[in-house]
Amino acid sequence: MTKALDLCDIQGNVVRAYGRFGFPIARYLLLNVSNGWGGRAWLTEMIPYVTNSATWGTGPDDAKRPKATLNIAINHAGLSALELPLESLNSFSTEFSMGMKKRKDITGDVGASSPEHWDPVWNDDANHKAVHILLTLNAITPHALENQYQWVTEQIEGSKGAVTLLDGHRGPNGQLLPYQEAHIIFENGLPTSKEHFGYTDGIGDPYFEGIQDAPERVAGRGKQMSDGTWQPLATGEFLHGHLDEAKEYPPAAAPILLSRNGTYLVYRKLHQNVASFDTLLAREGATYPGGAELMAAKFVGRWRDNGAPLVNAHDATSKLQWDADFAKASVDEKDAMLSNFTYDDDMSGARCPLSGHMRRVNPRASLEIKAGTCPGQFLRNEGAFDTPGALANRRRILRRGLPYGDSAKRDTDQGDHGVIMMMLNADIGRQYEFVQQQWVNYGNDFREANDKDVILGNRSKHVPNSVIHQADPEGDAPPRFVRNIPLLVETRGGDYFFVPSLTALRLIARGLIDPT
Amino acid sequence: MNRNKSGNAYALTMLCPIKPGVEGNRIYADLIRDQLESWNMASVSPMSLVPNTYLCRFFVLDDIYTESLPGAGIWDALSDIRLIPSNEQRLAALPHTDRLQSRYLVFTSNLHGDVDDYLHGMWQSIHVEINTIWKYCYGFENVNDEVSFVAYAKKCCLDTSLFFVGSNDDSLAAQLKALYVKQEFSRFAQETQDLSASQLRLAYTAFMQHIKPRDVEQPTWMAGSTHVDL
Repeated sequence: MTKALDLCDIQGNVVRAYGRFGFPIARYLLLNVSNGWGGRAWLTEMIPYVTNSATWGTGPDDAKRPKATLNIAINHAGLSALELPLESLNSFSTEFSMGMKKRKDITGDVGASSPEHWDPVWNDDANHKAVHILLTLNAITPHALENQYQWVTEQIEGSKGAVTLLDGHRGPNGQLLPYQEAHIIFENGLPTSKEHFGYTDGIGDPYFEGIQDAPERVAGRGKQMSDGTWQPLATGEFLHGHLDEAKEYPPAAAPILLSRNGTYLVYRKLHQNVASFDTLLAREGATYPGGAELMAAKFVGRWRDNGAPLVNAHDATSKLQWDADFAKASVDEKDAMLSNFTYDDDMSGARCPLSGHMRRVNPRASLEIKAGTCPGQFLRNEGAFDTPGALANRRRILRRGLPYGDSAKRDTDQGDHGVIMMMLNADIGRQYEFVQQQWVNYGNDFREANDKDVILGNRSKHVPNSVIHQADPEGDAPPRFVRNIPLLVETRGGDYFFVPSLTALRLIARGLIDPT
Repeated sequence: MNRNKSGNAYALTMLCPIKPGVEGNRIYADLIRDQLESWNMASVSPMSLVPNTYLCRFFVLDDIYTESLPGAGIWDALSDIRLIPSNEQRLAALPHTDRLQSRYLVFTSNLHGDVDDYLHGMWQSIHVEINTIWKYCYGFENVNDEVSFVAYAKKCCLDTSLFFVGSNDDSLAAQLKALYVKQEFSRFAQETQDLSASQLRLAYTAFMQHIKPRDVEQPTWMAGSTHVDL
């Protein structure tokens, strides 16, 4: 079933990960609104320049690809500052209304990740410095980014104090900046899609009805069907005002025009402890059967160098073969090799461990499971659910964002580098928070008790910090313990924002939101 | 009483009517609830001192729950189809709303072994705490020792209709020891992962001497613990 979305109405970052479309650099700005009338006037000036999702190209209906993009997201306090009616404000979800800081016990932002350690920009709620608006600028070249940034700051200054650009993003050398920079990592002068632990990132992304993407890309990205095909996910999993996987309209703010074609954006600045990661790899990898690089692959579910999925390249030999096939493959075939796989033949985790990051954040159909006959063996429980991936289909998340900082110096955890994650979903509680609390920081659904996601798990000295790399239940090799895993990722800032449609932005700017 | 047994495990269910008195401007039922809340906040519950308690639960039952007007049966159906019965007739046919005659203290316990032994053990270990909540119940004024407590308890017992034990039906001490051994063995397996066969043999001997698998009393997990210190 095809569905035509009003792409001109949906902001561009919802259907596109700009990094994949030739926009390798970004700046993320946080703004405060001190005066509703002035804030709305400023918003009116910005709206014509907000990038939407219209297809880029040279055809008559296509939009021209810009050199720099601009997108706007607003948190609950920001919508209140813009003077949305109280009834509309109260109709947003509880998670969004509370904001990420107050939800830290759910997201697990405790210890080193606790909000008091975040960048100062997130912690100055007094004196008209509370975070209200997120402006994201992506650009093709540094020159285009600088022009876009200059233009934006001029508009902000033109608001005569109604809108202010907030300072306090920690940058390199401990400086505080008025923006967060992000950029793809270059290796030997060439752009890569790597992140700072060395993994190839950004391969998977949900495919939903209405996005203008090649149909064959649904394989591995949509939902798995019993007959082995893949279908797009329901639009309403990622956009308000459209039917979701339960064939209902997702709970969304009133009135309909405020929320339709909009979605929630979860922004998180994640610092990466590269020294701890390298030490872990060296220590536990020294005695790891198959070598340290295989162990690194098992932390995530993909080989670091080229993202080969472990289910199809589970040891050195099969990896060599996979690499050879990959080198000869066309662009489309390469994409299929990377994305089009299932865990159907790896239910026991012998290839991709049950604690693997990729498996934890998107289990595909691996939760349609029953115990096998020998210890540690799991089998497909075919037909148990409506579709094999039913337990995962409603927990999918669109990932946007880029790495930040430089990790050439890897002998310390104190450097300035990590990733800016922006996750888009229609329901923060059901999607992002569920995955974070139940699948990343807890292992029960994977029969792994309290064992956490190796990469993202919020570790402290009060919990066991090991995982088990499962072995083939019918083979002779024992499972492998990976022990004393340190805290690898720390939260340094974030909040829950709403990405309004262009229609909603215009109504907000004109003060015409009416929930009655 | 067979419905309450599952192998060596027993399901005890007591409903104890609470007197309607007032003390310090609060009704007895609320005082009991308050006392139970303080047990909840304690680092270890008094019930962890009662031998062979697998899992127990207390609550104060105020009344049964009424959702709406019940139907008048055939009179409702007739008045929907044809307006033959008058509304007065229909309303008169509605049953009265049910109410409990008093509030109840409800105590349920999944336990190991004989229920009489259990109740004796409960009085022996925590008769002071028992009195702080049960003193407000009808008939408890006659309870002043082990024998009278067991007799009172039996009067308040109900048979359950469906009983599953959450674990096996071994003694509590055996179960706690088993959990301890399982935890320690997991730790041992991780720590000795890369040892040679002879090193492993030595480490295993030391491990067995340390955990004393045949000694059910020590070392072991404490009853009532909510977490293991690492």
